[in-house]
Amino acid sequence: MRIVRQQTRLQTLINLLAPFLGLILILAIFSSMPDIQSRFLRLANLKSVATQSVIVALGALGMTLVIIGGGIDLSAASNIALSSVVTAYAINAGLPPLLAVGLGILTGGAVGFVNGALITRLRLVPFIITMGMMGIARGVAKWIADNQKIDAPLTWVNELMAKSPRPSWLMLAPGVWLMIVFAVAMAVVLRYTVFGRHVFAIGSNEAAARLCGVRTNRAKIIVYAIAGLFCGLSGVMEFSRLTVGDPTVAVGLELDIIAAVVIGGGSLSGGEGSILGSMIGVFIMAFLRNGCTMMGWPNYIQEIIIGVIIVAAVSLDRIRHRRPT
Amino acid sequence: MISRIRISFLAPLIAGIVLTGCGGKGSAPAAGEAKSLKIAVIPKGMTHEFWKSIHAGAAQAAKELGVEILWKGPQKEDDRAQQITVVEDVISRGVDGIVLAPLDDRALIRPVQDAVRDKIPVIIIDSGLQGRDYISFVATDNYQGGVLAARRMGELLRGKGPIFMIRYLEGSASTAERERGFLETVTKDFPGLRLLVKDQYTGATTETAYQLGENLLGRFPDVEGVFCPNESSTFGVLRALQESGLAGKVKFVGFDSSPKLIQALRDGHLHGLILQNPVKMGYLGVTRMVQHLRGQTIPDRVDTGVTLVIKETMDTPENKALLSPDLSILDR
Repeated sequence: MRIVRQQTRLQTLINLLAPFLGLILILAIFSSMPDIQSRFLRLANLKSVATQSVIVALGALGMTLVIIGGGIDLSAASNIALSSVVTAYAINAGLPPLLAVGLGILTGGAVGFVNGALITRLRLVPFIITMGMMGIARGVAKWIADNQKIDAPLTWVNELMAKSPRPSWLMLAPGVWLMIVFAVAMAVVLRYTVFGRHVFAIGSNEAAARLCGVRTNRAKIIVYAIAGLFCGLSGVMEFSRLTVGDPTVAVGLELDIIAAVVIGGGSLSGGEGSILGSMIGVFIMAFLRNGCTMMGWPNYIQEIIIGVIIVAAVSLDRIRHRRPT
Repeated sequence: MISRIRISFLAPLIAGIVLTGCGGKGSAPAAGEAKSLKIAVIPKGMTHEFWKSIHAGAAQAAKELGVEILWKGPQKEDDRAQQITVVEDVISRGVDGIVLAPLDDRALIRPVQDAVRDKIPVIIIDSGLQGRDYISFVATDNYQGGVLAARRMGELLRGKGPIFMIRYLEGSASTAERERGFLETVTKDFPGLRLLVKDQYTGATTETAYQLGENLLGRFPDVEGVFCPNESSTFGVLRALQESGLAGKVKFVGFDSSPKLIQALRDGHLHGLILQNPVKMGYLGVTRMVQHLRGQTIPDRVDTGVTLVIKETMDTPENKALLSPDLSILDR
């Protein structure tokens, strides 16, 4: 059983600094490569990396909450695919786009709610429940889409992820702004609200939290429902980007999302993690992918690098924890 | 203190891996060369034989024309979202031209428009893209492939007898064209061929094709000819024919190549294979792009041809190259 540790300001700073240094290192390495140095840090490339990050980042916002609360959500990627298919299906069926977007997000939220309800009612570990949901959501997505992709007519929804947004003063794709706004909102929720502190308490020591009067089951259901809503929004963004609803999209993306949270300092045993850290984790992976493609390196190189970074980040975390405070 | 430990850990790890990667195949071109053209070739996936053949053709063209190619596909096979990312990154990187095999005829429209806006011309290979933002489309004439298969079937059965035309997958444009070519030729030129089955889909895998084959053979045991429109359906139905002891008796025309299908052709279980020419597709994709960049006009549709290969002709040098393409250029 883990003791809830009082963290000093210095330690918090260091926790955040570590992934940040990783990101700077990656930026430094790629921007010093002679082949691409003039282009890597150009505004156009930064904009496209930001747009590419939105889908994983939105998923990671919810996943951070889940992981801090001591859980895991393996159904995230399937949920994203399901939500994108629902959005495409609704637009194709002639519903107003805004309603379709709402339906997509709510689908994600519903899947998350069911996850939370099953985990608390059946008292099963989140790993099992969400692994089951991973298959269920993916299957339902394929069913709705009749095993194909759904072509939906172009609407404003598809502008959400356009690299050059329509009112040009927006500078970034609307999806990128949504990502920033929600990241700030979630950081505030985690740090300054009672609910946020409860999530940390549950992740650190659920039994103690319950004894202290935290309604743990209710909080956990809310956590998974919020994570689901973010997956739903992420699914809408996926649809916006693809312009088609594809039930086979984002296979394995849940591992990218979890990796981002872990690189950013989230602990799979719960009670630790931060939104800023997770966002940095997302950008570390996005810039790596972008840089490797720009250099023309084979895909296996970037897979190996990301694997090494995950192991390095987590083992450094363990070393830090072993030090007596 | 602690942060310093972290850096000292991370830096050599990442730098080490990154530098090793750099030292491998990705080594920069010799500095002496005057700015050679750089062309990105983006396949649908990187591990299948078909894409390796396209890579070999593209590499051959690059060698002959003195240009450089950047070969990069989506990290996961057949992932539409990741292919979009690759196109965007290649645009960011800056290349002189892009040769793209789009995973989706809709989803890739916008990235291609982005490329055109950045003055990077795009040639589409293998599968179509909606709209007209690209300068040329280099692909197999799939309809013609179906026509060839139908003519072979007519010849094998002397124009009469009950046959199956098995379909591949709903929504797959290239195989639908092959099926259309087969069906229209049979109806027009060989009215004596009776289609017992013409609207059954095998689905994406060999396993589902095998099951469909078994079920159909159980219901229509007196069938005399079968046509399948791609590799997985051909192999699945071949297995069903072999299991029920009908292989060799039923005239069977398939599409595409694999070691197992080559063997079946040799054993007389297959009576014809329609082959595409992926090496030529990669070769012409890059060649046409270079011609365009050097100011020549190029046709907006390039057919890379289909060929019927039968047991008697399978050992000619040209057909051997089609059945098992020479990929040795990729090892250098």
